[in-house]
Order: sequence, then structure tokens, then C-alpha cells
Amino acid sequence: MSKELSLILTLLSPVIGGLIYGFERIVRARMQNRQGPPLLQPFYDFLKLMDKRSIMIHSFHAFMGIMYLVGTWFSLYVLLSGGDILIAIFFHVLSLAFLVVGGFSVRSPYSVVGAMRELIHMLAYEPIFVLTAAGLYLVTGTFQVSELLKTDTVPILSLPLVFIAFILSLPAVLKKSPFDIAEAHQEIIGGPEIEYSGKFYEAVYTAKWIEYIYAFFFVFLFAGSNYLLGAILVVLSFFIVNLIDNSTARVTFRQMVSFHWYILIPLVVINLMLLALWRA
Amino acid sequence: MNLKKYRTKSPWILHYNTGSCNGCDVEILACLAPKYDIERFGILNRGNPKQSDILLVTGPVTKRARERLIRLYMEMPEPKVVVAVGVCACTGGVFRGMYNVENGVDKFIPVDVYVPGCAARPENIIDGVVRALEILEKKKKDLQLTRKCTGTEELEYLLGKQLNRRKIVAEGTRRCYESRRD
Ligand code: SF4
Repeated sequence: MSKELSLILTLLSPVIGGLIYGFERIVRARMQNRQGPPLLQPFYDFLKLMDKRSIMIHSFHAFMGIMYLVGTWFSLYVLLSGGDILIAIFFHVLSLAFLVVGGFSVRSPYSVVGAMRELIHMLAYEPIFVLTAAGLYLVTGTFQVSELLKTDTVPILSLPLVFIAFILSLPAVLKKSPFDIAEAHQEIIGGPEIEYSGKFYEAVYTAKWIEYIYAFFFVFLFAGSNYLLGAILVVLSFFIVNLIDNSTARVTFRQMVSFHWYILIPLVVINLMLLALWRA
Repeated sequence: MNLKKYRTKSPWILHYNTGSCNGCDVEILACLAPKYDIERFGILNRGNPKQSDILLVTGPVTKRARERLIRLYMEMPEPKVVVAVGVCACTGGVFRGMYNVENGVDKFIPVDVYVPGCAARPENIIDGVVRALEILEKKKKDLQLTRKCTGTEELEYLLGKQLNRRKIVAEGTRRCYESRRD
């Protein structure tokens, strides 16, 4: 991808992410046999939040909310501009760390509990992200996204188990049921983002849309240079994630971590070991 | 850009039960469920005062709940509207005059829309919320002065140019404790 194109795509990513989010709300509503909000609903929310009075708890807390947006946006830029996958992952971790620090910096118990659960989330799914990057490296011999998009091998053919594990860890990344423990809306009402309001909540809200693109771009990478297959995979995983979201209830954090560590990570590791054996 | 009209397109609800018999709460939940589906108007049940625009109150205000009610109202950023759902929230209903309830929500916080009925029908609740949206669009973004409200002295401190929110909340709770008779 050329420099200009990647820059434009990155700047447009909130718009694209908002559309994806709006579409997702419709899909979710249709799965529940409802009408659902209009497609542009996330932007209405966005504009309304701009119009609300923002109550700042303290400036550091608000700053961390904005840094969460900046960090996520930057990690997406690293991916789109053809940079290193690992650097993108680390920037994503860093941006989540900002959110966690912001959550810990206020005295609201909901916020603190949410921040702790966010850390558990990271503990659960980040290894899978890193191992996925390692798997892509084993197949294509590079960590650079620009090289990955040009390889003649199709990574998903040699990494089927990694792909399955990655899809099953997507609900945790996007904070969806059954792994929505960090922002459990029914008990801790949004977790680390509970104390944000007005413009600062808007930053956190937008960062979530960008996270959608970030997560689905990884799915796209599994198809290598075959862009059509990549698009199919993205759409498929989108529907699978929503189906799982609609048909499950929340599990406890122990179950989440053990599911990731005892089922998904072994799946990934088995795939990588078989790959190495087959190569040798 | 006129942002005011977007207020009506994505109202977020905070639902608080001040001691209702649960009849009205169930009706509100019925509004959110597939049959009436108010999400198609962009209405979400946030449960978070910091991010909501509409406060739906059900039930008579019990003496235990009134501090929380005032606090929740104070924590909502402007513009905001209050909808009293059910006769209990409007006047006290069947609980009117009992020793442990204050009659009606409007004794403590200014109410914009009253939705009658025991229990209020989902159609009426949706109607009330839509009425509230019209009021929401007219409200200003700055700190709202309270409108007419039965216990006027209770909230008069808002008129005294106290724009510091923490002070207002502290003052509100202090007054609430002061007027405690039980
Ligand atoms: S109005 Fe009727 S249904 Fe609603 S809280 Fe009062 S008694 Fe219960």
C-alpha cells in the first residue's frame, strides 16, 4: 500500500469503524428479530456526545481517555502503513494500558474493578495475538505487513487451527459476550470507561470503533495476497463473532482465562509445532 | 453545525427504581425487548448517569432512595430530562401518605414528563420518552436552573450560581440528610 493511501485510510478509520459498528448493531438486532437502529446511529451518538457537557474527574483521567484513542489509532496506522505486526500489537497493548491507568486513577469502584478486568482481558488474548504473528512469520518469513500482503502463500491453509483460535479470541478483544467481563454493562456498567462523559467518552467510544478495524485487519492478513479470500474471511468472522455474542451469556474471568490458556493457546501451539515438524 | 437536533436521535436512558413494586420496571424492560424495541430510535439503556440524557424514575420515593435519586440526578451532565413513569413516581400512587415514602419524584428533582398508569403501558412510556425528547432539544447545554418543584427550598441552592458540581452534590446530600425526619 502506498504511503498516501495508508494515511488516508487511517484518517478515515473512525468513519469506517463507525459504519461497521452501526452495521453490527443492525445485524445484532436482526438476529434478535428486532428492527434495530439506523446505520448512521453511531454518528448520531457521536454528535450528541459532542453536544453534552463533559464532566472531568481530573485532567489526568481525561488525558488517559484521549491517549487511548491516540494509541489505538497509531497502532492501526502501523498496520495500514505496512509496518511491523509486533509493533502494532505492542502499541495496542500500550493504548489499553492507558485506559487501565485511567480507570485506576479515579476512586470509583466500578472503574477500578473494570480496569482490573481489562488487565485480565489482556492477559487472556494478547498471547494469542503474538503467537498469531509468530505463525504468520513461520509461514511467510516476515513480520512486515507490506510483505505479508504480497506473499504468494496463503497463510490460512497452513494455519487453520491458529485461525480458529484467533476467531474464538475475537469476542475477548472486542469485549463481546461471552467474554465481555471488562465492560459488563449489567453489573459494572462499562468498566474502565464509566467515569468518562461528554467529549472524553467520545474519545473512548471512537477508539472502540478503531479497535474493530484493528482486529478484523488481522483476520484479513490470514489470506496473504489473496484479497478476495481476505474479504470473505473478514465477513465470515464478523458474522461468527456476532452470532457468538448473541447466543451466549457472560462467563467468569477464571473461565475466560482458562479457555484462552488451556484451549486456544494449545491449539495455536499444536499448529505451530506441526508446521515446524512438517517443514523439517 | 447544529448539534441540537442530534440530541433527539440518540437519547441514552438511565433507569432508576426508587422503590417501585417492579411493575413499571418490567414495562420499561418490555420497551427495550424485541416487541417494542426502542433501540430503533437509537435509545440505549446505559445505566450510567455520566453518559445518559433521560432519567426514567419508577416508584414512590422511599426515604432510603431519595439521596441516591438526588445524587444520580446531579451526576447526569446537562442537557438532561426526567421522566416519572407510573402513578407512584408521579404522585405516590397507592403508596401515597405512607410513613416510609415521599409522595412523588417531583418533591426532590424537577420532572419534565409524567407518564400515568399502574403499571404504565409500554406505549405510554414510549410516548413519554418521545415527549421528553422534544423538551431535551429545547434545553440548554449550560447548567440548568431547576424548574418548578414542590419542595422549592430543597433545591434553591442551585439558583445561587454554584457551578462547582462537587459542591452541588455535597450540598444536595447534606440538605437531604438535614431534612431527614426518620
Ligand atoms: S405505578 Fe403501579 S406498577 Fe408502577 S410502581 Fe407504582 S404500584 Fe407498581
